[in-house]
Amino acid sequence: MTTPSTLDDFFPRTPSATGHIRLGIVVGGSLSQGLDVKLDVGATPGNIIETMAVGRYVVIEGATGRKFFSIVTDIALDNTNPDLPKTPPDPDDSFASEIYGSVLSFGRLQVSPMLLVEKDENKPKPVKTVPAHFSKVFNATPEDVDTIFGAEDELHWHIGEPLDMQGVKVNLDLQKFVERSSGVFGKSGTGKSFITRTILLGIIRARAAVNLIFDMHNDYGWEVIDEHKKRFRGLRQLFSDGRVQVITLDPDTSRHRGSKVDHVLQIGLNQIEPEDVDMLSGILGLSEVQVGALYYISRKLKQRNKNWIAELLDENSTEINEIEDSEMVQKGTLRAIQRKFELFRRFGFLTPSASDEAVDYVFNALNRGTNIVLEFGVYGNTLAAYVLVANFLTRRIHRKYVEQKNKAAGKGGDEPLPLVITIEEAHKFLDPEIAQHTIFGNIARELRKYNVTLLIVDQRPSGIDEEVMSQIGTRVTCLLDNEADIKAVFSGVSGAGQLREVLARLDTQQQALILGHAVPMPVVVKTRDYDEALYAAVGFADEAAAREKRKKDKAALYGEG
Amino acid sequence: MTDGTIAIGRLIRSSTAGFVFACRVPEPEVPLFGAFVKAPAQRAQSEVFGLIYDIAFTDDMLVRQVAAAPDLPESYIQDQRVNRQIPIEVSVLAVGYRSNGGSLNYGLPPQPPITLDRISQCDDAEVAEFTERFDYLQIVLNSPHAPADELIAASLRRAVDTCPPDERGRFLRNAGKELARLLSRDLARLENLLRRIRP
Repeated sequence: MTTPSTLDDFFPRTPSATGHIRLGIVVGGSLSQGLDVKLDVGATPGNIIETMAVGRYVVIEGATGRKFFSIVTDIALDNTNPDLPKTPPDPDDSFASEIYGSVLSFGRLQVSPMLLVEKDENKPKPVKTVPAHFSKVFNATPEDVDTIFGAEDELHWHIGEPLDMQGVKVNLDLQKFVERSSGVFGKSGTGKSFITRTILLGIIRARAAVNLIFDMHNDYGWEVIDEHKKRFRGLRQLFSDGRVQVITLDPDTSRHRGSKVDHVLQIGLNQIEPEDVDMLSGILGLSEVQVGALYYISRKLKQRNKNWIAELLDENSTEINEIEDSEMVQKGTLRAIQRKFELFRRFGFLTPSASDEAVDYVFNALNRGTNIVLEFGVYGNTLAAYVLVANFLTRRIHRKYVEQKNKAAGKGGDEPLPLVITIEEAHKFLDPEIAQHTIFGNIARELRKYNVTLLIVDQRPSGIDEEVMSQIGTRVTCLLDNEADIKAVFSGVSGAGQLREVLARLDTQQQALILGHAVPMPVVVKTRDYDEALYAAVGFADEAAAREKRKKDKAALYGEG
Repeated sequence: MTDGTIAIGRLIRSSTAGFVFACRVPEPEVPLFGAFVKAPAQRAQSEVFGLIYDIAFTDDMLVRQVAAAPDLPESYIQDQRVNRQIPIEVSVLAVGYRSNGGSLNYGLPPQPPITLDRISQCDDAEVAEFTERFDYLQIVLNSPHAPADELIAASLRRAVDTCPPDERGRFLRNAGKELARLLSRDLARLENLLRRIRP
């Protein structure tokens, strides 16, 4: 009689006491290109490979007892004989198929080692070598992943859970997140703004930084309604203690939407400098000559104490006619500028003259730790308005931050609070053509020198200047399928090229690849649901509960009845 | 299966790679191609296990003359068969051995059996024990004399009969996997062999 094979006693395939299931062994590879893992056969051929997924974690037990945390970056079919694909077994012959599938063909994983945990230690370190040949590869258990991402606390914000690991929290290190500029990327409709809102909630709740959000599509301040008519609360609603203020450019729309607005922003034409318009040159179609003329006109009119934009918009301006007559600016150029500036007439938030009040209001609010959501209302649909206002405010606030920071350095004042500026359609600001000399390019490049960083929300990362992209600390990336965009997201991240398969295979919603400064290793998360549990996590009590609390407080204060 | 303790012949020549024994008249059940047999060696200190890979009836002068004669009486034919001048020669490929009653070793024995040693057929328990592992398949495949594929198929068919019915499929699959490992470079040969041993 034949006794059963004892192979399984030596190489158990059933879950061990720690929940580890052996998947295979390391057979080759390198640190730069990733490791090759030959998959075990498992109970029946193919049952391990078909349960794998790119983006999942595996743990490799090295020969010295060190554990290498790695991420699956590719999955392939392989064989021991190159002739096998030409002479496959008859698929109806289960006997031959099983034997071929067990011995001659096998699954192969490409895994990228990310972190190393020394034997008998729990602290992960960046990986600088690879595990030895034939090291055993196991699935990562929830406990393993928990060890890596640590516990949730004030500054470690639960952002989602790893693929297929319910109950395991992936926590974003908020301090590190705001330390450098960050980005949220993804095709439209992949949930960028939900993830951004979740991250912002964490930052605001922990007061890790103060936020200035240029809210192009009215997504952040107040309620939003998704395609299934479901309502989601905005930042202003979730923090009732006044730490979030909504400022609007378009009070009518805000009122129609039922948003509570704390301030209406108006910009005086007299405040606009040629530098503010310079950035619009692409959008307005201003040529280099025309931009040059703007600087000249503005300087000339300033000498005469005139408002240059107001004069340009005034068809009967004598000042403009004088410039025209002086022939310093060609007539055609002047008229072309005037035609292109017609757009400004439609911007209701522009007033003939205003004090610096708008900028001061925003700066003072930020300085007090109040987060600002700037709603654009209908102007969100006009890119020129968005770029103009974002550029206008950011330039001035950054200037004030630089002043305050320098004063603080000279012991003449307090450090300004770290500021995160959220911009959407970021490629319009960080286009390679203009990023070199715009304020946003500067902020992205100078890092946290002046306590100001960016949170870039964009669907076309390939349109963003490469130098800026390489300075992005943390990248939260939803599904991208354009080759150039995927490449852009990984620029400046060593060894990340292997993750491109992971990125291209994300689900269209609620999945994101997070890599960079704020997470210990790249992670694919199913992002946290934006629901009551999240509201509760930031301390928001719904109306019924709030009423109940008020009642209790009242009873405590005045006695029952 | 027959009782394997019955001696089926005596050894006439041997080497470490195998041996040839002689027997008189073949019974319908012994000896058979692909059967497991054993022989004592090293003065009964060890047992050599082998697989029968050839059974030869050699002619002699008398048979040649008689074979051409017309009208042979049946009694004459029987006499020629039973009282042969030259016995039937059965060739065996050595595939394993056991020393001092210890565990089985797969491979060539340290010493071959000696002339006129008694050869006996392995019983079911011995066959089952020997085929717990399939290391002997490699020796068969590498043998320069034996018809390896035929011998493997025959020996596995014999061995599978010693398994309980519900184990037979698994036994043959495990054998198939070992063959696939050994023949991974020769897919045509593997395919042919698998077809022969398929349950």
